[in-house]
Amino acid sequence: MMRYALRRILGVFPTLFIIITLSFFVIRLAPGGPFDEEQALPPEIKANLEAAYGLDRPLTEQYLRYLSGLVRGDFGPSFKFKDFSVTELIAQGLPISLLLGLSAVALALLVGIPLGTLAALRQNSPTDYGIMGVAVLGIALPSFVTGPLFALVFGLYLRWLPVAGWETGQLRYLVLPVVTLALPVIAYIARLTRGSLLEVLRTNFVRTARAKGLPERQVILKHALRPALLPVVSYLGPATAFVITGSLVVETVFGLPGSGRYLVQGAINRDYTLVMGMIVVYGSLTLTLNLVADLIYGWLDPRVRYD
Amino acid sequence: MHSTPVTGSAARSTPAGGAGPATAAPVLEIEELSVRFATPDGEIPAVNAFSLAIRPGECVGVVGESGAGKSQSFLAVMGLLASNAKVEGRARFEGRELLGRPADELNQVRGSRLAMIFQDPMTSLTPHMRVGDQIAESLLRHTSISPAQARARALALLNRVHVTDAERRLDQYPHELSGGMRQRVMIAVALACDPVMLIADEPTTALDVTIQAQILQLLAELKRDQGMAMVLVTHDLGVVAGIADRVAVMYGGRLVELGSVRQVLKAPRHPYTQALLRSMPRVDEPADAPLLTIQGQPPNPRRLPPGCAFHPRCSFAQETCRHERPPLVELGASRLACHFPVPAPATPPAEVTP
Repeated sequence: MMRYALRRILGVFPTLFIIITLSFFVIRLAPGGPFDEEQALPPEIKANLEAAYGLDRPLTEQYLRYLSGLVRGDFGPSFKFKDFSVTELIAQGLPISLLLGLSAVALALLVGIPLGTLAALRQNSPTDYGIMGVAVLGIALPSFVTGPLFALVFGLYLRWLPVAGWETGQLRYLVLPVVTLALPVIAYIARLTRGSLLEVLRTNFVRTARAKGLPERQVILKHALRPALLPVVSYLGPATAFVITGSLVVETVFGLPGSGRYLVQGAINRDYTLVMGMIVVYGSLTLTLNLVADLIYGWLDPRVRYD
Repeated sequence: MHSTPVTGSAARSTPAGGAGPATAAPVLEIEELSVRFATPDGEIPAVNAFSLAIRPGECVGVVGESGAGKSQSFLAVMGLLASNAKVEGRARFEGRELLGRPADELNQVRGSRLAMIFQDPMTSLTPHMRVGDQIAESLLRHTSISPAQARARALALLNRVHVTDAERRLDQYPHELSGGMRQRVMIAVALACDPVMLIADEPTTALDVTIQAQILQLLAELKRDQGMAMVLVTHDLGVVAGIADRVAVMYGGRLVELGSVRQVLKAPRHPYTQALLRSMPRVDEPADAPLLTIQGQPPNPRRLPPGCAFHPRCSFAQETCRHERPPLVELGASRLACHFPVPAPATPPAEVTP
């Protein structure tokens, strides 16, 4: 197990290096630069600015410089948010996005797995059809529709929760964004769990467990559910990454100061260092989450460990 | 020819044939069992009016081709059929009706008094649970011993079924064991609570020949030492010969011949049993002797032939066989469903030296 984990962890670094290299050069292919304003700057000032940020150097030299900064944990200065380093910007926004994303995934697991299990155990009953019907809706409706709808119903009409905004430590600001973000993931996990559990319930080892005279509850929880969760776990890595990086829409709808906006703003402004910083952070996050998912996979299925 | 049709009550008073205590009440008594599967294309009959009584300590081999209904009959007894199965009839185990009972009632019997092992040991153990835990689980469910005691008992059981290096095996996962080892573990699981009866559903079919012999030897040994009743479901008459006391032959979902292993194997009365025996290679015949096959295919349960289900493949079939299903009749200790049975040998089969 330890050797498997170590091998997988070491595998993360080359992948991250490729992501960084590719994005560094691809961003530069986009037309324009960080100092192109609607009113063109005098060429001397622009040249001075570019010199100050090292943009006048050959691209390979800039790349090597960026890498050496990165190794020391320095993401460089933001080109647009003056007086802020990229590290500072990310440190402000990322905790909120992480909190939002991880809560959404946790909620999705807590709700999705039991719903899917229930649907499978009551296959082809009204309960099953009800859960699967709602799940289809949950997948089909985009968060820019469900988000405002929730804000309208629970914020404006019922006045149970704040419509938008953020105050550190105030959990009630988190409820609607988390639910909005979790909804499609709940739906997907419920469908995955149902399908896979139905398959596992037909296997020989579940029959053996029943032949032992175990109560149905124990048959499901100890024998059937663990292998049935394998597809859910494979989906979890990409899903978490999707939820954390894709929280931009939800952060915008509910006015949350997360880091999702930096990626979009940075890209529009050609704020090279900010975009790179976000890519490095999101890239590492995605790789780490996939790694965690694989490790959980190895725990669920002992056959994976010594491949 | 004196012969009486077997009815429910007559079956119970049938005198015993073959080995086993003749007077003891049966451990398991199946009467008029029918199994049908509901499918979108209509109902498919799998088992029809199957009756069989198994006495304490005896081993009954249940033989037939795929689709003859042998596995389905005993899965029905265990309450392990798919949810689209419709079961009718009676199956009393130690005087207690099993058919149609809710799962939590069956669970008091399953795995404790009545155990079952299956055809495919490669997929019949839970992949993510250690072998020791899978054996201990049964004990913890049916007895009130501590986990530590259950583990010690699991170790003893692994030794009992001749698993080498048992101490280490306890903590291994099924995928770390060979097929034969896994079937031994399955048997250990089944033996955990000292059942009075073991149903073995094609226990050696998925194993290679040398391992098959070892597993059969183990089953024979267990039957002898534990005094456990056993049902051995198989399509292989060779498997039955070494271990069974009586043989039940099924065809097209029905019992067609039942008798002592000696009678059925030495002097089969049903043309199907005879054909089955002739299609087996024998060591006491020249290796180049032609091996007979049964012509045609096992019947499709959706379209069972009218009359005797075997008539399209039977070389003795006459007009009656095409229209009239032969009733199951008692012939001494045996039972037979055939209009034109193979004549019994002049000397009683019991006196034939094996």
